This record gives sequence, structure tokens and C-alpha cells, in this order.
Amino acid sequence: MLERVADQAKRATGAATGRKDAPEIDVSGVTEGVRHGHALKGSDTIFDLKDLTVRYNGQPAVKDVTMDVHENEITALIGPSGCGKSTLIRCFNRMNDLIPTATVEGHCFYHGQDLYDSKVDPVEVRKRIGMVFQKPNPFPKSIFDNVAFGPKVLGLKDVSERVERALRGAALWDEVKDRLDQNAYGMSGGQQQRLCIARCIAVDPDVILMDEPCSALDPISTGKIEDLMLELKEQYSIVIVTHNMQQAARVSNRTAFLIVELSASEKDRWGELVEYDDTDKIFTNPADPRTEDYVTGKVG
Amino acid sequence: MAERTRLHYQEELEELERSALSGLDLVVAAMDRTLEAVEHQDIELAELVIADDDRIDGRYLEVHQEILTLLATQAPVATDLRLISAMLHVIHSIERMGDQCVNISKVIPLTGHDAPQHEDMVDRILRMGKQARSMVSQAKKAFEGRDVELARDLVRQDDVVDQLNKECFALAVEVGDQKDVREWAMTMMLVARAIERIGDNAVDIGEQVAFVVTGLFREFEDASHPGETPAPAP
Repeated sequence: MLERVADQAKRATGAATGRKDAPEIDVSGVTEGVRHGHALKGSDTIFDLKDLTVRYNGQPAVKDVTMDVHENEITALIGPSGCGKSTLIRCFNRMNDLIPTATVEGHCFYHGQDLYDSKVDPVEVRKRIGMVFQKPNPFPKSIFDNVAFGPKVLGLKDVSERVERALRGAALWDEVKDRLDQNAYGMSGGQQQRLCIARCIAVDPDVILMDEPCSALDPISTGKIEDLMLELKEQYSIVIVTHNMQQAARVSNRTAFLIVELSASEKDRWGELVEYDDTDKIFTNPADPRTEDYVTGKVG
Repeated sequence: MAERTRLHYQEELEELERSALSGLDLVVAAMDRTLEAVEHQDIELAELVIADDDRIDGRYLEVHQEILTLLATQAPVATDLRLISAMLHVIHSIERMGDQCVNISKVIPLTGHDAPQHEDMVDRILRMGKQARSMVSQAKKAFEGRDVELARDLVRQDDVVDQLNKECFALAVEVGDQKDVREWAMTMMLVARAIERIGDNAVDIGEQVAFVVTGLFREFEDASHPGETPAPAP
């Protein structure tokens, strides 16, 4: 059981040992700060999606998405259930590779490098582009070991310092510094989610993807995560999927709205990007009436 | 076709708009009485206008409270948010217009029961009043119909009010040497000024119509740069 969890964790943190011969992502065009996981301030494009389509068993889940994601910003993906926002966020670190029936067409450029190029190692991708999931998923280990896991597997030095830095970065240090050896399962849901964020930033990623990170949390814990996101974006770029439109409005710089499209026969459905703009524009004066109807809650 | 949701909230928004805009009907009624009181030097009617302003103030408080409740409970966004923001402006303008009627009504007794009246000046003030009253009605119609053109036309209507106001001033300057006549003319200038402000409030409401429809808030005319047109047609 533990081995299976650990294996999943390796894959999720990009620490799998296979494919050692695969080339790393070419980041020669990337600034020094970014290469070391500390993105420089500014709003340069970090992801550039071109006509991205994802299919499961040949059926499109999300179609022809073209958008760019900017550095040191929080980008929110919103839309009704089934619009493909979770599928889309999983393209940013090739998590869809873990689903055997998933195929990806089009391009997802990361610092100009196509992530779906056959030469790119998905493990290396996930090392730079971490992910936090809807439900907190700590390993059944101590708080320290949870955070130390990635750095240890990657053979990084100064693990203790990294753990402290990551826990401080996740606004958790003061709450757990005296019980680092205790099992992470004893933490509250909100603490567990911040632990997962700490585990993610312990390996110095460039981007943090968050798939509904607060949907299992109470409002106080949600507020803490949102504050944390606003702090983290100084160092990292964040993409978040959220059902909570007010959360998108509160924290994000830009918002993408996706919708479910139906085929003429109504047999097939897939997600499409309707509108992508500055968050304040989306929530005060959206250009597309479908966005207007969704954000005002006029249609479900 | 997606299912319509938040129907109760939509009803609340519609009711809020109805409640706020019908405040303009209260203003029109107050203006009718005020102008009649000016024309006939009717102090009793003027007192009635003052007492009745409580209804306009009450509507202001009611709509204001409803706006706070909707903001707190429904987190409105997009057009709904713009509408609510506009309602705050509109209800404030309504309250101000009601107060201008009170201001006029308060000065009527100062001129006495048999005040010396300069016919040309009274004529212009009554024309101003009718023009401003028509503007208040037009502002309501423009808001209800989300009619930006009709809203922008309020600027043209307001130019008429401003011109009459200037003519009143010119007449007041030349009104004569008698003290009581000069006093009367100065009081009438206060009346003209209050009516002129009502016209401006109607234009303000027109600007809110354009904001709700286009999402862009611009003054139709910039008082500090007269003659310029700051708001391009959407």
C-alpha cells in the first residue's frame, strides 16, 4: 500500500526514476530566475496554448483552446461542470498522460517549448509545474516527511532547510514547527491542503496548478489558502480551477470562461473557451452574453 | 437551452429598479406642486411639498437598504453589479432633486403673500421648471428602456434649462432700484438655481443609463471643460 502511494507521489511530483534517457525541457531561452524556480516579476507569457484539443476515447473533452498564461499571475479557469476545465489544467503538466485513453492535439508551449513534443520528459515537466488537488492528499507519513519527500527523491541538498522554507512559504510553519514528526493525517483539512502546497513548493517549481483547492475546505481555511495564493504569486505562476466564482473574482488576475457545447444530435458534448480576459472585466463587463449569464448565475 | 436559475434574485433586482425609478415619479409630483406654489405664491402648497419630502427620503433609505442587502447576500456581478451601482447614483439623485423642491418651497414665504413679480422672470422660471420636469420623466423612460440615445438627449434638454437660467440672471441684474423688488429677484435666482440643479441631476441619471448599457462610465459633459464631448458614442 505504502509503496503504491509512494509511487503515485513520485509520479505526481515528477520524481519517477524511469526514462532517465529522456531529454530535459529545453529552458535555454528562459531567464536565469525562472530556471531556478523563482520566476522574475513581470507578466511575460509562461504558457501559450494553440488550438489545444483533448480527447478521451476519441471523444473531445475540450476543443480548440487558444490562450496564454502569464508569469506571476493567478489565472482562473471557470465554467459549468463538464466544460473541460479540469481536463485543461491537467494539460499544463501533462497529467492527462496518466489516463491511457487521453490524447492531446494542438500545442501547449511552456516558455516557448512545446510540452507535448515527443522529446519532452513529462516527469521533468511535473517537477517544474506542480499540482494541488481538490482533496488534500498527504502521504500517511509525518509532516516533515511529506514535505521532504520530493527533495529527497530528487537528491536535493539541505532537506531540512527546504522543508522549513516550504512550510513557511505555505504559511504553516508556526502551526506545525513543534510537531513535525507527527502524522499528517492528524492535521485539519485546511492544514493538510497547505501541507500539499508546501510539498509542491519544496521542489522549487515554476508553476503551481490548483484544481479546486478549496472545495473541501471551510471558509476560514479557504481564506487562508486564498491569502497564501496571493503571496505565492510573487514567486510562482498559478493556474486555478474553481467552481467558486467569487474566489476567481477575489484572487485571480485573469479569468478564462469555458462552456459545454453540444453536437447537433446532442449526443456529444465538449468544452470550449468562450472568453478570456482580465478578471475585473469578466466580472464587471464581460464581452460575451454567455459569460454574463454564467457569472451572474442566470443559467446553471 | 440551459435552465434559468436564481429567479428569486432576478425578481429582487427588478423590484429594486422599479422601486428606485418610481422615486422619479415622486419627484415629478413634487415639482408640479413646487412650480404651482411659485406661480401662485402659494405658501400652504409649499409647506405641503416640504412635508411630503419625507416620502422621497423614505424611498431613498428603503432602496439604499435593499442595495446593501443585495450586495451582501447575492454578490452581484457584471450587468447586475452595474445596475446596482447605477441604482445607488439614481436614488441619490432622486433624494437631491426632492431636496431642491424643498429648497424652493422654503424660500417662497420669504417673498411674502403679495410679492412684486417681474412677469418675464416668472415666465422663464416656470419654463425652466417645466423643462426640468420633462427631463426627469425622460430620464426615467431612458433608464427603463436602456435607451442611451434618449439619455444623451438629456444634455440637449439641459442646455435649454441653462440658457433660461442665464436669462433669469440677466433680468435680475436689471430688475430695478427698489429694495423689495431686488430682494424678490434674488430669491427667484435661488429658485432658478435649484431648478438648474434638478436638470443636472436628470443628466446624471442619463449617464448611469449609458453606464449600465455600455459598461463605460463617462460624464456626458464635463463641467470643468464645457464644450468638449468626453463620452464618445458607444
